[in-house]
Amino acid sequence: MAEIASPPAPSAPPTPSTPAGTASPSRTAPVAPRLPVAQLVMAVALAWLVPGLGHVYLKRAVRGLIFFALVIVALAVGCSLQGNLYRPVPGQWLSYLATFAEIGTGVPYFVLRYGMHYEGQQEAPGFEYGTAFLLTAGLMNLLLVLDVWDIGSGQKE
Amino acid sequence: MLSHFLLMVVYALLVSCFFTTLWRRERRAQMWLFVQLFVGMVGGGLIVAWLMYPFPSGPPAPIP
Repeated sequence: MAEIASPPAPSAPPTPSTPAGTASPSRTAPVAPRLPVAQLVMAVALAWLVPGLGHVYLKRAVRGLIFFALVIVALAVGCSLQGNLYRPVPGQWLSYLATFAEIGTGVPYFVLRYGMHYEGQQEAPGFEYGTAFLLTAGLMNLLLVLDVWDIGSGQKE
Repeated sequence: MLSHFLLMVVYALLVSCFFTTLWRRERRAQMWLFVQLFVGMVGGGLIVAWLMYPFPSGPPAPIP
C-alpha cells in the first residue's frame, strides 16, 4: 500500500500539454525568418494591388512574374470574351461575393472598371466563360495574397 | 471562333500552371502535379460531358 501512495518517479514521461491529434511544436515552428509587421503588411498590400508583386517584394521574382502573367492572361481572356465585371447589386447578395472575388485582382479591376469603362456584354456568346475567367483571376490573386502572408510570417518558404 | 473545348483547355492550363507554381518547388514534383491537375480537369470535363449527353439540352429547335 505504501508503494501506491508514493509519488511518481522522476523519470516518468510528462503529461502532454496539447490534446491528441494537434500539431506538435516542431510543425508549427517557422520554416523561414519572419518579416517585421510593417514589411509584412506592405508585402500583402502589394500582393493585392498588383498580382505577383508581393512575391517580387519577398525576393521571389521568378514566381512573382509567373503569377503576374497567369493572372493577367486570365483577365485578358475573360475580357476578350466579354465576361461580366461584377459590381454590387442591392438585393442580390451573390453579386457582393462575386464583386469581392473580382476586386481580388487589385488595380487591374479598377483600371478595367473606371479607366476603360469595361462592363462586359451579356449577349456575347462567351459571356459565361469570360465571367468564369474573370472570377478565377480574382480568386487566384486572393490566394497569392494568402501565400505572401504565409511566406512573410515564416510559415512557408 | 468560340470553341468550348479550346476554352476548357485554356482554363485548365492556366489553373494547372497556377497551382503547380504555388504548391510545388522541385521541377519533377511540379511536372507531376501539373499533369495530374490538367488531365483531371480536361478528362473530368469530358467525362461529365459524356455522362450528360443523353439528357436533353432544352426544347427542340424549330423546324425551318
